[in-house]
Amino acid sequence: MKAPLWGEFRSQKRKSHMLGPIQRIETPMHRFPEGEEVDYVIVGVGAGGGVVLQRLARAGFRVIGFDAGPFWDTERDWVSDEKGAHNLYWNDLRITAGQHPLAFGANNSGKGVGGGTVHWASFAPRLHPSDFRIRSEDGVGFDWPITYSDLKPYYELLELELPVSGPSYFPWGDPHGYPYAPHPMGGVGDVLIQGCTKLGIRVSAGGPVAILEGSRADRPHCIYRGFCIQGCKVGAKASTLITHVPDAIGNGAEIRANCMVSRIHLGENRRVTGVSYFDPEGREHFQKAKAVIVAGYSIETPRLLLNSACPGFENGLANSSDCVGRYLMAQAGNVVLGRFEELVRMYKAPPAHALTEEFYETDPKRGFARGFAIQTVGPLPIAFSKQMMTAKGAWGWGLRSVMMDYNHWAAFGFLGEILPNAENRVQLAEEKDQFGIPIAKVTFNLYDNDKKLIEYGKNKTMEVMWAAGAQEVVQEARYAHLVGAARMGDDPATSVVDQFGRTHDITNLFICDGSIMPTQGSANPGLTIMALAARVADCLISQGEKIFNSNERDMQRPPMRRDLSPPDTWGHGMPTFSS
Amino acid sequence: MNYQNAQGDRRPVDPRTGKPIGPMAQPGYYPGFSTLSQQKFWDAKTRDVVLDRVNNVPPIRFFSPEEAKLLEAICDRVLPQDDRDQAHKIPIVPQIDKRLYENSHDGYRYVDMPPDRDAFRLGLRGIQEIAQQQYGSGFLDLGPREQDEILQSLHDGKPSAGHEIWKKMAVHHFWLMLVSDCAEAYYSHPWAWDEIGFGGPAYPRAYMRLERGEAEPWESEEERYEWEPPANSLSGKYELVAGRVEHFGSPAQGGTH
Repeated sequence: MKAPLWGEFRSQKRKSHMLGPIQRIETPMHRFPEGEEVDYVIVGVGAGGGVVLQRLARAGFRVIGFDAGPFWDTERDWVSDEKGAHNLYWNDLRITAGQHPLAFGANNSGKGVGGGTVHWASFAPRLHPSDFRIRSEDGVGFDWPITYSDLKPYYELLELELPVSGPSYFPWGDPHGYPYAPHPMGGVGDVLIQGCTKLGIRVSAGGPVAILEGSRADRPHCIYRGFCIQGCKVGAKASTLITHVPDAIGNGAEIRANCMVSRIHLGENRRVTGVSYFDPEGREHFQKAKAVIVAGYSIETPRLLLNSACPGFENGLANSSDCVGRYLMAQAGNVVLGRFEELVRMYKAPPAHALTEEFYETDPKRGFARGFAIQTVGPLPIAFSKQMMTAKGAWGWGLRSVMMDYNHWAAFGFLGEILPNAENRVQLAEEKDQFGIPIAKVTFNLYDNDKKLIEYGKNKTMEVMWAAGAQEVVQEARYAHLVGAARMGDDPATSVVDQFGRTHDITNLFICDGSIMPTQGSANPGLTIMALAARVADCLISQGEKIFNSNERDMQRPPMRRDLSPPDTWGHGMPTFSS
Repeated sequence: MNYQNAQGDRRPVDPRTGKPIGPMAQPGYYPGFSTLSQQKFWDAKTRDVVLDRVNNVPPIRFFSPEEAKLLEAICDRVLPQDDRDQAHKIPIVPQIDKRLYENSHDGYRYVDMPPDRDAFRLGLRGIQEIAQQQYGSGFLDLGPREQDEILQSLHDGKPSAGHEIWKKMAVHHFWLMLVSDCAEAYYSHPWAWDEIGFGGPAYPRAYMRLERGEAEPWESEEERYEWEPPANSLSGKYELVAGRVEHFGSPAQGGTH
């Protein structure tokens, strides 16, 4: 038994709420009086909700962020343990159906303040310019109502706010650099770089990931413990819980945690008046608001709208287009695993630390539209055992045997674009949850282009693993992420919200999360969701009171409010490249 | 339990001598490695959670004593521990029982599956039914080969009997849930981390040797030994689970990237 090197942090005598080992929030926090009308209610404080909450609070609006899960104290609530992270996920029941059904829970759904950013691996690439117009360029999917250049300044802003670490020159899409330096490599990153280099494929080392490689303000740098998707106790990995929510609270926002919003109410003149919610004791309340922003992500957002059906909106609130719940997407996320003669120990370092987007764009020679990325992943033992169960069919002694070789394996995540389809959708099931609210039933099928893309991309990813010197390569089919199901567009007949997240049907009802994305590219969606949220916030702030007392829809592009970023955002950065 | 003595040694063997291996306190290639020895250097919350898992094995509350005994025999084949001595076997059934007693699940259910509680009860009945129909006795009284044949038939999606029962759920979904639950109970235990050389909790201390599979100063180097599953076992080979192609990933799969 070897002697440890050093010990636990000095225990903190604290009454305050800890967000990482240094950052704290004084308790009790501000609470709006019962019965008082607020300016905005935000349903869900995740990637989108967290950013828009922070902007609105800093701009002086009276705003409440509801979340169905807890307001985490990261020191008290989180663990460095795979099984112990179970409570970070949305574990309420959903029914999954279709020929190629999706997994939920730990795979893609957060519950609690910070939402999915609490357990994302935090790869933070941008979409490519081509992603915004795949209908025009490739004849598939749907064009966005905005272009890359509309979102680019918000990408740059959020890359500073999180911030994102990565190379100083990222060559794909719109080439750019990252404000924080790339991370050191772990074993899996070395394997990806080796394989890619052998095959002449360009590869990005050490990012882009929203993990601090140097400490900043009250957040320490990464310690390379590998438990990113179990919740970063270190406070190095960005989540809106630690990057945006503290600033929102400091500017008067209220977080109403463990409160499940069950219905949005429609009043006169086609305007919403507030939300019903269940408090932690299960009592139902009504919270009055001048406007409502739904930010529950791609399953809960459509579920809430469908459950808010009322006279005039019999098929679901803001659903005159019949697009609520439709065009749901997940990315193909096959995990490719390779065994090496030498040890890898892939549990060290963040799972996300190197990637290639060399295959991102459409290549007509491949026989399908759009493309994919290849990224590092670092499954811990439980996840790896399940991957061996599906990838090799391992059980019994076979499982014990391959698990004894855990330290010899490396894993890549293929990340492929699945195209939007109207039949991939969220509906309501007959079953109800603990509050009596109908649960979501999700149907998902892969179509021809999806299948061809997955087959090609999976084989290419395996080829890279072989090229790195693996003795054995296997793969598991699976998905990663969710987006869509309340898409944005210019035409109210084929989309749910406009380019500012405002529902076409109701002028004081907004959606601000991944569900508004019309397509998904092969980039992990977190950064794009946050950039869109900052843009939505600029629209809300520039229109001010008009949103509360008029049904006029102003489509002017709002000025960018860089001054509303959380403190300490500026003064870091990279020069931009001329394009 | 009589099934453990039925028809032959259940221990893995050393291929050079043909002799059984174990039982021992710590199988695996990292002799002497102990994650628990590092617990002073974990944060308090993590230490509480992991020590509770080790020290407080939950009582059986969901399954009947008969069901628990049957599931015990099944789990002994799905995740065999015959190379571990009695004092170092990792409890599997109590963890499954706890999950079902608390009605905890992973946030989704396949449309072709009943709730997990019902699925487990159906699965146990189905396995007994195969044992009776195919071998004329209960699963508990069968030898390791026959027990593995039954489990292999679930793995292959082709149970030989109990069709009325298996009609009520997708066999491969049940099989993957069973293996997953066993794997989760086993590989969440620090003794299993020691076995496979996983460093375990690492906050706030951190890792500093990130590349080339190098061990931290408090970790152990690998020392391999040869072993093979016993000849009376079927689970040493790798064959894909039938029906897997149409169903993406494993139950309760975590996020990746």
